Amino acid sequence: MTDQARRGTGTVVVTGTAVLSAYGRGAEALLAGVLSGRPAFAPVQRFDAGARRVRVAAAMPGSPELLAELTSAVREACEDAGLSASDRARSPLFLAVHGDPAIARTAGGPAGGPDAFTATVAGRAGLAEQDFRCYMSACVAASTAIADAAAMIARGHADRVVVAGGYLVERDQFALFDAGRVFAGDGQVRPFSAGRRGLLLGDGVGAVVVESQESARARRAPPLARVAGWGRAGDAYHPCQPHPEGLGLARAVSAALRRAGIAAADLGYINAHGSGTGQSDPAEANALRLALGDAVETVPVSSTKSLHGQSLEASGVLELIVTLLSVRKGMLPVNAGFLGPDDRCRLNLVLGEALPATPEYAMSLNAAFGGANTALVVGLS
Amino acid sequence: MTPEVPVTPASLPAASLTALQEAAAAAGLLVSSSASWPDTDEDGDVTALAGFIESNFSPLMAQVAGMALRDRELPPASGTVTAVVTVTALGDVTSAIRVASAVDAGERVSPLQFFQSVPNAVAGYVAAQWQLTGPVVCVSGTAAGLDMAALLIEDGDADEALVVRVDLAMTDGGDRDHAAAVLVTRPTDRAALDRINPEGEQ
Repeated sequence: MTDQARRGTGTVVVTGTAVLSAYGRGAEALLAGVLSGRPAFAPVQRFDAGARRVRVAAAMPGSPELLAELTSAVREACEDAGLSASDRARSPLFLAVHGDPAIARTAGGPAGGPDAFTATVAGRAGLAEQDFRCYMSACVAASTAIADAAAMIARGHADRVVVAGGYLVERDQFALFDAGRVFAGDGQVRPFSAGRRGLLLGDGVGAVVVESQESARARRAPPLARVAGWGRAGDAYHPCQPHPEGLGLARAVSAALRRAGIAAADLGYINAHGSGTGQSDPAEANALRLALGDAVETVPVSSTKSLHGQSLEASGVLELIVTLLSVRKGMLPVNAGFLGPDDRCRLNLVLGEALPATPEYAMSLNAAFGGANTALVVGLS
Repeated sequence: MTPEVPVTPASLPAASLTALQEAAAAAGLLVSSSASWPDTDEDGDVTALAGFIESNFSPLMAQVAGMALRDRELPPASGTVTAVVTVTALGDVTSAIRVASAVDAGERVSPLQFFQSVPNAVAGYVAAQWQLTGPVVCVSGTAAGLDMAALLIEDGDADEALVVRVDLAMTDGGDRDHAAAVLVTRPTDRAALDRINPEGEQ
């Protein structure tokens, strides 16, 4: 009962995006930032991080508010896709967040919750009042939501889904990650590199409009890309550590390639999970070797977490947008912070500067606590 | 943040097995095993789970998951891929409040709180313990959870799904933590399995 990845027959496209990152609001700021190769990490100003071992993150100036930023991103993605008010009112929202950000400090006990938070974003952005979902599966929350949206659309269960995710660097997760000693003490994220020290958090809010090709055509909306394939699989290994051989991630990658109907060598770029931690990077390299075979030697790979940081539940949508922007521009972002090769992470990394390339297919990978793994393949042809 | 859509604690459904079973039926899934806690008023404390602290969320998830998996009528066929879908209205709100209080008071945050800071962690524990190699996901609504289970099975990323709903006491204003679990599969797969293997022998 393995290798059963199936997909519906429908073609799934992305017709609109919106994004916020440490590089600022909007796709242009993000693309310019990642193609500059200059990481956005800086000392945290947003709150007092003085008690923490590491005090660095990739955060935009000020204290943006998650609800407002998510609402703006969803609205902008809908505008980018050219959706009318009635189109929006028929489009459900799949939202990836840690939870209701107010819940831990609501006097007298919780009153909202993730569903209420999601309903509020959907309501303010004019999306459907029903069928919204809140995904809370850590760093694969947004990528899982995109995979589910694509699967539903390919099977004709939905015409359109707006997927959004958001994480803005804040004191609680910062304190938790610091307590877990996973932050990079040298203030840089160095995925797949010798001497890598860990991860750093980063702001990320993103939204994508995912719909059927027919739905897009009916509105004469030009697709930005196809969501060609997707895969999700678990490691069954440990609450917090990835399987050292990357077995779950390899299965997710294989399933995504199978659904896309392409060979590993057809991939022209991989935006890796690449957290920059000691255990996760070799596991991911092993997964790619296992799933891609010889193509692992040639497919360009970078983890843009080295530039915009780790945005937790939003990672999947932020990094899919980075992937889309980069391949449409014809420039693959660099894997920043690289000090030297680690034999356990041998990949064809994009190093030094952004690499000109116009891939027909690109893949975005995410992995999370619980051994959760996702792979998304976008097609540009 | 004040939600515009009034969802009060009282309107949030507790983790009831009936709700999971109804949602499974609505999603066209067959329930092959189920469990809930507390089963009776005599059910005492939730069994502690090594490595997880200060909150019943993770121990409760692991407990009902184990109950449902132990009670399955047929052992899984070799190579069965099982998804783990966690459904929770508020997540581990006990831990979230604990962490927020420590942060606000300038106190030390336990590293163990980091490792249980997302529902994925205990889902990964359950997956490792029972060798469930399917997708690991968490959503906030029961219908969404069962719909997702049906989609994962239809799409072939899983043959079956363990769907566990966990709500801590303050979630619904009730006085007890609640959890329920269903192991769900496609009716066709189940019927085929019964024909081929009526005694459940491997």
